[in-house]
Amino acid sequence: MTMEIGVPEGHGGKKMAADGQSALARFGHGFVAGGWTMYPVLLLLIIVGAFIAPRFLSFINIINILEQVSVLGLTTIGLTFVLLIGRLDLSLEGVVGFAPMLAAVMLVPAAAGGFGVELPQWMGLIVALGCAGLIGLFNGFLVVKVGLNPFISTLGLLVLLRGGILIISNGRSIYSPGESLTWLGSAQIAGIPMAVFVFLIVATVVGLVLKYHRYGRALYAIGGNEDAARAAGINVDRMIWSAFFFAGLLAGLAGILLTGRLDSAVTTQGQGIIFSAFAAAVIGGVSLGGGRGTIVGVVSGVLLIGVINNLLTLAQVPSFYVQASTGAVIIIAAILTTVASRRSGGVKTRT
Amino acid sequence: MEQIRPIVEMRGISKTFGSTRALRDVDFTLEEGEIHALLGRNGAGKSTLVSAMSGYTPADTGTIRIASTEFNVDGSSYAARIRGDIAHVQQTPQMFDLLSVAENLFLENDLVRNRWGMVSYTRMIEKTEKLMRDWNMDIAPSDLAGELGAGQRQLLEIMKALSRGVPVIILDEPTAALSNAEKRVLFDQVKLLKTAGVSFVYISHHLDEIFEIADTVTILRDGQVVKSRASVEGLDTETLANLMMGEKTTRSAREDHTFGDAAPLLSARQVQLKPDRPKIDIDVRPGEIIALAGPVGSGKEDLAMVLAGQQAPASGQVSGPNGALPTIGLVPTDRHASGYVGILGVRENVALGGLEVLSGNFGFISKAKEDSLVNRLTRQTDVIASSLDQAVSQLSGGNQQKVVFARALCRDPQIIVALSPTRGVDVGAKEQLYALLRDLASKGLGVIVVSDEEDEISQLANRVVIVFEDRIVDEMVGDYRMEDLILHMEGAT
Repeated sequence: MTMEIGVPEGHGGKKMAADGQSALARFGHGFVAGGWTMYPVLLLLIIVGAFIAPRFLSFINIINILEQVSVLGLTTIGLTFVLLIGRLDLSLEGVVGFAPMLAAVMLVPAAAGGFGVELPQWMGLIVALGCAGLIGLFNGFLVVKVGLNPFISTLGLLVLLRGGILIISNGRSIYSPGESLTWLGSAQIAGIPMAVFVFLIVATVVGLVLKYHRYGRALYAIGGNEDAARAAGINVDRMIWSAFFFAGLLAGLAGILLTGRLDSAVTTQGQGIIFSAFAAAVIGGVSLGGGRGTIVGVVSGVLLIGVINNLLTLAQVPSFYVQASTGAVIIIAAILTTVASRRSGGVKTRT
Repeated sequence: MEQIRPIVEMRGISKTFGSTRALRDVDFTLEEGEIHALLGRNGAGKSTLVSAMSGYTPADTGTIRIASTEFNVDGSSYAARIRGDIAHVQQTPQMFDLLSVAENLFLENDLVRNRWGMVSYTRMIEKTEKLMRDWNMDIAPSDLAGELGAGQRQLLEIMKALSRGVPVIILDEPTAALSNAEKRVLFDQVKLLKTAGVSFVYISHHLDEIFEIADTVTILRDGQVVKSRASVEGLDTETLANLMMGEKTTRSAREDHTFGDAAPLLSARQVQLKPDRPKIDIDVRPGEIIALAGPVGSGKEDLAMVLAGQQAPASGQVSGPNGALPTIGLVPTDRHASGYVGILGVRENVALGGLEVLSGNFGFISKAKEDSLVNRLTRQTDVIASSLDQAVSQLSGGNQQKVVFARALCRDPQIIVALSPTRGVDVGAKEQLYALLRDLASKGLGVIVVSDEEDEISQLANRVVIVFEDRIVDEMVGDYRMEDLILHMEGAT
């Protein structure tokens, strides 16, 4: 970190680039800021895993891990939109369960637990995503227009949606809700589940948008300093609405993948996923205070959780221990991420 | 009989931040009952030195004696040991917004506690009311600190320090947010305490204040003392400025680029800042630098924000020549609060002002366009950073402000609205920003500046608009004299 004092006039910003920081420090900063911190850890885990369980590195198992994490991955990417602007959305967990359930009860006949509306099959995906998007917009409304703290408003909505799932389904899971709703989560291309492609495509698109699109720039700016973003001419309110909207939409998509994998809309669907999503985001270097975080990092967080769960299962660790050790790993990873970003960020000077 | 010795003695103080040596082997003494001004440009180490003195940021090496407490410094915290001897008023008020004025003033103060440590509210209210009378302030003890104006908050912070009854008080830029009237009250109180034997360390960018209030001056440059304990009587503004700069400086003069008969770029018609206030008409012409002046709370900031299109007036209309608003670049009043995004780099901060200009296909930012624009603007505003990716929070105040200016210029604006454009900025950067504003005016931009500083206004403005109680009370155009300006600004208070 440098602070220039008394440099003669007439030198633009660029000139200083060469002598300001060492190449190593620049690399370290870029490494952490880009969200690559956890990848060495991930690599280490994979190497260790290969020794513990020979099956770990098999093609089938790797695909299995990726399929497992796709639901968590989409939810976490959704959550990242909201976290980047310094807000949070607990209701995403409710959306993962509610959106596909609503679509399911609209599709199946009354005899199978539906409403008796029996919408045409192709409507399934639209109803689920539409519902998810509307819930996101409603969150935006509560935060922007009503001015509620998102912790309270989305907590309320989470509980409401969990109850709503039981109401609309009468407390019963709905089996085989229809091709359009389950296709994304069950189809395979060349032996690789569609869900994996959905996750990778969404991660790539969102990653590019956050990094290179003006929408992403505006998100980071709002998370860093909302008033400065407003003064720069960014429509902050609309950005907040949109962040909640995309979060809801992606959680809905995650729910659809889950319903597809199970070929049924289950009443407990998505329960507890919000905690894993927060963990994955934080492990991946997303700041809960807003303004910091990358999709590269988020993916590392999601993969880390997926790999650990998989390894512990393969190593036949009793399931009680799996949960506790996931928690321990979350804390360790969060410490690592925080220390890394502090080391690379330097301290603030006072003048 | 003890011999008279300085109340504060600091020897060989050094402090390093990362790779920056903020203080190098600095000696500093403060005599009893003296007002000792500490001068230097931004980044010279003034705030670091006083923070080392109060223990707010402990120094790395050296020895310090304050009153009867003497100790060696090794980087560990010593603030608690000298708490009874020294008070440090920071640059920005640090108040508890949700506590009342009285609670803020007497927090952690033994004067309002009884012998069992219980706080007596009656005593607290009594003491607050007396303080308010002494300071000529119209604030109820039960008002919430968060609801006060910037000047009042600053004064409260100072009152809190002064009423603790300590022998040494540090005032770091105490007048930045104060109106002239508030400044008067502050100076009176400081002089009063001085006669009672209290010693002050006083930091300010306003040299006229130094001449008015200080006895002794110490000047820092690049973390070192360049002038120690000089008596104010033997000094003048130019000498001080030169010592601070380390090179000969002359104050720049205003230029007039107004195109007399050109159509206005922006017109406000029948604008009311608040309901039931008089209506305001004002035009902004190309090449003109307008200063909005007036006491704190006069509505000058509101008027500027209305003209900038950032705030809706209670009634009336602001429009350009063909009805629509022209492109306007805004430099907000408090750069820390709303100027820059500290965790982002110079590049991202500048580009933020023109995201839609920089984005091409499907809204993705064009790297080439961004690079060329950011390079051009940071050169135009003279931003100095280790790289364009350096976080803006790590830059000095002057460079942060230049980044904010660069951002405001992103969309090629026809009008620039700059609120307190050089607050907390050193002399060198100040002149650069003035030159920038004049240059913009010469290119036909309309420039609106909100300022509390007479010097700044007289160096910039071709037209001074005095705002008081949400209306325009006075206007001076063209070749006004400094004396008139001061009189007009005083007259409004």
